[in-house]
Amino acid sequence: MAAVPETVEQVKDLSVDQYKYGFTTDIETVKAPKGLSEEVIRFISAKKDEPEWMLAWRLDAYERWKTMTEPRWACVHYPKIDFQDLYYYSAPKSTQGPKSLDEVDPELLRTYEKLGIPLEEQKVLAGVEGARVAVDAVFDSVSVVTTFKEELAKAGVIFCPMSEAVREHPDLVQKYLGSVVPKSDNFYAALNSAVFSDGSFVYVPEGVRCPMELSTYFRINEKQTGQFERTLIIADKGAYVSYLEGCTAPMRDENQLHAAVVELVALDDAEIKYSTVQNWYPGDKEGKGGVYNFVTKRGDCRGRNSKISWTQVETGSAITWKYPSCILRGDNSRGEFYSIAISNGHQQVDSGTKMIHLGRGTSSRIISKGISAGHSSNTYRGLVSAHRKAVGARNFTQCDSLLIGDQCSAHTVPYIEAKNAHAHFEHEATTSKISEDQLFYCMARGLDEEAAVALIVNGFVRDVLQHLPMEFMAETQKLIGISLEGSVG
Amino acid sequence: MTVQIVKTPAEEALESAFAAMRDGLSGAAGDFAPALRDAAMATFRELGLPGRRVEEWKYTDLRGLLRDVPEPIRASGDTLSETDLYDVLGIDLDEFLAYRIVIADGAFAPELSHFEGTDALFQVLPLSEALANPPDWFREGFGKVNPPERDASLALNTAFMTDGVVIRIADGAKLDRPLHLVFITGSTRRGMVTNRNFISVGEGAAATILETYGARRTPDMLRNAVTEITLGHGAEVEHLKYQNEGRMGLHLSSWMAAIGPGARYRAFQFSIGAGLARNQIFTRFTGEGGEADVSGAFMVWDEQHADTTVVIDHAVPHCKSRALFKGVIDDKARGVVQGKIAVHPGAQKTDANLMAHGLMLSERAEFDAKPELEIYADDVVCGHGATTGELDEDMLFYLRARGLDVNQAQALLTVAFVGEALEKVECAPVREAFVARAAAWLGSDKS
Repeated sequence: MAAVPETVEQVKDLSVDQYKYGFTTDIETVKAPKGLSEEVIRFISAKKDEPEWMLAWRLDAYERWKTMTEPRWACVHYPKIDFQDLYYYSAPKSTQGPKSLDEVDPELLRTYEKLGIPLEEQKVLAGVEGARVAVDAVFDSVSVVTTFKEELAKAGVIFCPMSEAVREHPDLVQKYLGSVVPKSDNFYAALNSAVFSDGSFVYVPEGVRCPMELSTYFRINEKQTGQFERTLIIADKGAYVSYLEGCTAPMRDENQLHAAVVELVALDDAEIKYSTVQNWYPGDKEGKGGVYNFVTKRGDCRGRNSKISWTQVETGSAITWKYPSCILRGDNSRGEFYSIAISNGHQQVDSGTKMIHLGRGTSSRIISKGISAGHSSNTYRGLVSAHRKAVGARNFTQCDSLLIGDQCSAHTVPYIEAKNAHAHFEHEATTSKISEDQLFYCMARGLDEEAAVALIVNGFVRDVLQHLPMEFMAETQKLIGISLEGSVG
Repeated sequence: MTVQIVKTPAEEALESAFAAMRDGLSGAAGDFAPALRDAAMATFRELGLPGRRVEEWKYTDLRGLLRDVPEPIRASGDTLSETDLYDVLGIDLDEFLAYRIVIADGAFAPELSHFEGTDALFQVLPLSEALANPPDWFREGFGKVNPPERDASLALNTAFMTDGVVIRIADGAKLDRPLHLVFITGSTRRGMVTNRNFISVGEGAAATILETYGARRTPDMLRNAVTEITLGHGAEVEHLKYQNEGRMGLHLSSWMAAIGPGARYRAFQFSIGAGLARNQIFTRFTGEGGEADVSGAFMVWDEQHADTTVVIDHAVPHCKSRALFKGVIDDKARGVVQGKIAVHPGAQKTDANLMAHGLMLSERAEFDAKPELEIYADDVVCGHGATTGELDEDMLFYLRARGLDVNQAQALLTVAFVGEALEKVECAPVREAFVARAAAWLGSDKS
């Protein structure tokens, strides 16, 4: 279908105009010397007042990283990254351990206000009555504030920045850190293990249902810095926790590197629901700038009947390279992956999941919806495998792609590996453009083209949206609208 | 950091075999073949045998599996008779009326071939002759029909090809009988056979082409067979293959097809033999309005490994492709289906669909599938699907409740499973032979 002239114009003005989180915060920072070396790692470790074992762990990861090469198999293209031309640590000067909200630099508070993140405990998310969310706000390399800590502590839930957990809960950290994503798992995981700064640490004790949504808000601000957060969530036997992360960054001409590691551990009968709304700066209309989002996320369903579900809405980043995965180790454990990946402008997305069935009666479900517009490239890459002992393993995968415009591309690369006869895997995928009949139907009923496309796209992604926490559904729907604005054609 | 990969003994053997044989291979005296062979060997030297680290060979580790390389089988000529053909192929040739061209022990066997009085329809040349004195049309097209990039098995084929069938079907020729290309070995000694076929189908021509590969007497042969086929404007071809080679052998096969405007290409491969079979099918639309159906079935048991790798390139708009693969896997066997539909920029109105289904009959069977879509155009309808599993308990119960024993019930359901794919074969005698073969396989006549 030929695009109307206005639409063509709008397509040209993509991304930049729509990215509303691109402002920078002017704040004094403390940085590590540029580049990566043992000294820089010692510097980071010292800044965080870490025990000796943590430093040793980092240095070991660094040694391993030095022997590794960057992965090149993903369907993304970018110039070689100079890992010595980055700052690996940057923190606002004023955040030398604030104890409460009153002590946080007002400039930082204004930043979060602008981003729409409620840091004051009495406030709630805009438009949602009574919904309370505990927030850990990570600014560049440090956590600036964590809300509702006391109330959570009453329930026995530990929710704190990673650096605090290393000091306060070393036994838990030592037991679980790197147990899901080992130090040398891949190039970026090794890099993260060496230099990781803040991220969130969550421990939900046996039998506890976490009383509120937990959330971490990541913000990259400083120039030429990489953000390397590390998140570790442990749900002990029978526990339940729902966690949401959000990400934004200022508009900068150079690319910023974000290489995070997220590890989830679910013990017997535990459930972790992990949601991501990723809206890093995607670069400008020429594809200049934007965040390289190279993330390793993995959940380990270690206990019987445990469940981990990943829900992700990916609208940002110049390049996305992430595969939130589930290791279904415990018998009857369950993994889920719901994803919406929208790419526009010159964005490149290579994302998907791995469902590794090890235990008996394990099941998994993958629903992935990719929408490409503009000049973007959007790849679903996924693995479903059943090992010899995974008798009765079941998987259902549906990955659909929608193309808007003839300059974009969509790829689907699923791997299905069944090593026992009692595994039942089903995979289906479709790629299409928005049906002209559907569009005509909507427009005949008085919707304009943009509204009709928005309606159809929202229908397309509905299966995924409904898995987001209630509080974020409305916001996400808006975000999808913004990402696709001007892409009708 | 550059990693120097150590050459395996098989790689070294292939390189030294080439050095020793080069000047004795077909067309060595001419100006055409030697340059092709040298270039191919250079490519092979660079690539080496593909192993798990090569994405396209992820599930079939040729580098690890090919330990050594036997001597090429030499044509003995007199060792095979018509009866042998029947024994090896399991197809009653008296019943199957076809133009037959036989390549025995790697060389054209005129005494076993029958295609008299067909000059007006098609022209046949043994490859060895075409390489020695290439006609212009052969020289122009050979080696250029949709070749995959950097494919070691194709490079090896070009380097070592001895003989094969070169056919040119005339414009508008409608073949009244199928063309039956028979590749067979009579040698009881282990050996390597490298065949190469080149088929050019003229505008508006119609043909059924069946390739059969058999080698019961050569249990551990190393076969590398390549067929290049071009379809002219509006041509219609059904291209079939039956492979039942010895269960210790290695069967590497590549079909490269270029489908002209408005042409219709139906490919089907039925594979039950060889210890390791790798069937590659590369299909490309070169003109608008083309249609292709690229399908197949395999049945494997014991420690067999069957890999089907298909790439369908929608390089131009308004083409339609369908692909359906079904694999039955018993014992410790392993089945692999890798399929890729690539829709190139501008290939609007593409309609493509690819399905892969694995049925595992034993606890220790393995099935790997990778159905891939790579799409650079927006006005397309593409889909793929893959399933794997065992026979449905409820269906088995239903049949047993009606008096069938376990084996009968399993056989019935399994034949129904592969039958869906076998039904794709339009040439009735071949389809019936395939169905019968599938049933016999289940009745434990597996070799």
